[in-house]
Amino acid sequence: MIFRIFLTISAAVYLIILAGCEPKPQPINYGSDGCEYCRMTITEPGFGSQAVNNQGRAYKFDSVECMAAFDLTNENPENIHSKWVPNFLNRDEWVEANKAVYLQSENLRSPMGLSLSAYADRESAEEMRQEHGGEIIGYDQVKQIVEREWLSNGNIGQHTHH
Amino acid sequence: MFAIKKHIILAILFLTPLSSIFAQITVSPEGPISSIKEAVEQAAHGGHVIVKPGTYVEHDIIIDKKLTLQGTDQPTIDGNEEGFIMIITADSVTVSGFNIINTGRSYTKDFAAIMLEKANDFVIENNRLDNVFFGIYLAETERGVVQNNTIQAYDKREASSGNGIHLWNVKNPKISNNHVMGMRDGIYLEFVDDAEITGNISNDNNRYGLHYMFSDGGRYYDNVFRRNGAGVAVMYSDNVDMMNNLFEHNWGSSAYGLLLKDINHSKIEGNRFYRNTVGIYSEGSNHVHIHRNDFELNGWAVNIKSNSMRNRFTENNFIENSFDVRTDSPRNNNEFDGNYWSHYEGYDLEGNGIGDVPYRPVSLFSMIIERQPESLILLRSMFIRLLDTAERIMPVLTPKTLYDENPKMNRIS
Repeated sequence: MIFRIFLTISAAVYLIILAGCEPKPQPINYGSDGCEYCRMTITEPGFGSQAVNNQGRAYKFDSVECMAAFDLTNENPENIHSKWVPNFLNRDEWVEANKAVYLQSENLRSPMGLSLSAYADRESAEEMRQEHGGEIIGYDQVKQIVEREWLSNGNIGQHTHH
Repeated sequence: MFAIKKHIILAILFLTPLSSIFAQITVSPEGPISSIKEAVEQAAHGGHVIVKPGTYVEHDIIIDKKLTLQGTDQPTIDGNEEGFIMIITADSVTVSGFNIINTGRSYTKDFAAIMLEKANDFVIENNRLDNVFFGIYLAETERGVVQNNTIQAYDKREASSGNGIHLWNVKNPKISNNHVMGMRDGIYLEFVDDAEITGNISNDNNRYGLHYMFSDGGRYYDNVFRRNGAGVAVMYSDNVDMMNNLFEHNWGSSAYGLLLKDINHSKIEGNRFYRNTVGIYSEGSNHVHIHRNDFELNGWAVNIKSNSMRNRFTENNFIENSFDVRTDSPRNNNEFDGNYWSHYEGYDLEGNGIGDVPYRPVSLFSMIIERQPESLILLRSMFIRLLDTAERIMPVLTPKTLYDENPKMNRIS
C-alpha cells in the first residue's frame, strides 16, 4: 500500500519535473562560449544567438548569420526545439527567430560581416532603419542572404567585400 | 633669361622657409591658441601643429587636410568620455606623441581615440591611449602606418570593450611595435588586403590577441600573444604567413594558441606555442604548411578536424604536451613528417637520427575524449596508458595513416 502511494507520488513528481523542462534559451557566457558554427568566441550580446534542441541543449552562435547557417546546414533539424535571437535594443530579451524582425544595415556591423540585427517588433526595427539606414527583412530572408553570401559559393566572406 | 630663372630660384629659396614658419602653429594651455581643434582649423594644408605639454579636454577633432600633429613631451587629450577624440579624413596626416584618454562608449557607434576614414598614407606613432572604447580605427584606408603606440582599457566585459587596433576594408597597412592590452581584440582585421603586422605585443585582451576575418595576403611575424581570452584567430582568409610569433598562456574551454578556420595556402613557421589549452586548432583549413614550430607544454599541441586537408607538419618539436595530436575521424588527410616528438619511445639502430619505427601522435585516449569529453578525468591512469600502448602497436580506432614515418630522435634546433 505504502509502496503504491510512493509510486504514485514519484510518478507525479516525475511528470512535474518533465513538464518544467520545456527547452528554453540558456544564458550565453560572453567571452568564453564559442560559436557552434564559426568557432569564434561569442562576445557581443547584441548579436549572440542560440538554437535549443529537444533535450534542452543550447547551440550558441556569435551572430544571427551563424545561427541561420547552422539552421541551413543542420542534418537533424527535427531535433531543434526553438531558435532565439537577442533584441538589439534590449539585449537580455530573447526573441524567437521566426517572429523577430531583422534589419540589414551597413552601419550596424555584426560579428560575421552580414550586418544583421534583430528586433522584437516592426516599429523598433523601423526606428532603427530611419536612424541607420538599411532594409527590414524576416527570418526567411535572413536565411536566403546567408545561403547566397556564404553557402552557395562555398566560402564565407567572398561576396561580402565592399 | 638666366636672370629670370635665378630670381625664381631665389624667390623659392626665400619663400619656402617663410611658408613653413607660417604653417607651424603652436598650441599651449596658456594660449594664444589653447585648443587643438582651433589650431587644426587655422593650419594650412601640409602645415605643422605643435602641441605643448598640458591637458586638452576636447573630442571630435576633425582633421580634413594634410597635417602633422606633433605633441611635445606627451601632452594629454582628454575626450571626457564623449564621442571620438580624433577623426582623420584626409591623406598624409601624421599624429605623434600624445596621451589620448577617455573616449565615449556606445552600442551602435564605434567611438575610437583615433578614427581614420578614407584616409591614405598616414602615420600614427608614439601615442599612449588609455581608457578608450576603440583605440585606432582604420576604415577604408590605404598604406597607413601605425607604430609604437600603447593602447589600454580596463573593461572586463567584452560587450563594452572595443578593439585596440581595428582595421576594416583596408589595403597595405603596416602595424608594428604596438602594445595592446585589456581590449576586446588586440588587433582586428576585417576585409584587409596584404597587412604587415610585426613586433607587436598583445596581451590580456578579452577575446583575441589578433583576429583575422576575410583578410587575404600579407603576414604577421615577431609578435607576442599572451594570456588573451581565446588566443589568436585567423578565419576565412587565404595566403597569410605567420612566422616567429610567440603564442602563450591561453587557457580556457574555447581558448587556443592559434585558431585556424577556413584558411588556405598559408605558412606557419618558426612560432612557439607554449602552455595553451590547444596549440593549433584547425577546422576547414587546407594547404597550410606548419614547419619548424615548437609546441611545448600545451594540453593538445594540435587539434585538427578531418575537414582540414592537405596540411603538412614538418620538422616541428612536440615537447611534453599532454596530447600531441587530436582529430575527430579515423581518416587522415594530412601529412606529418620528420618532426621531433618527446613522447616517442622508438629506437634508432641505424644511428641516422631518425627513429626506425613510425610515431603515431594520436593516442587512443584522445579519440575517446573526442567522443566523451568527461573521460578526461582518467588521464594519467594506468589503464589508459595500457590502452594507448596497445593501440599504438595495433591501431584500431586511431587514424591508421596518421603517423610520422621519420620521427627525429633529437630536438630540432
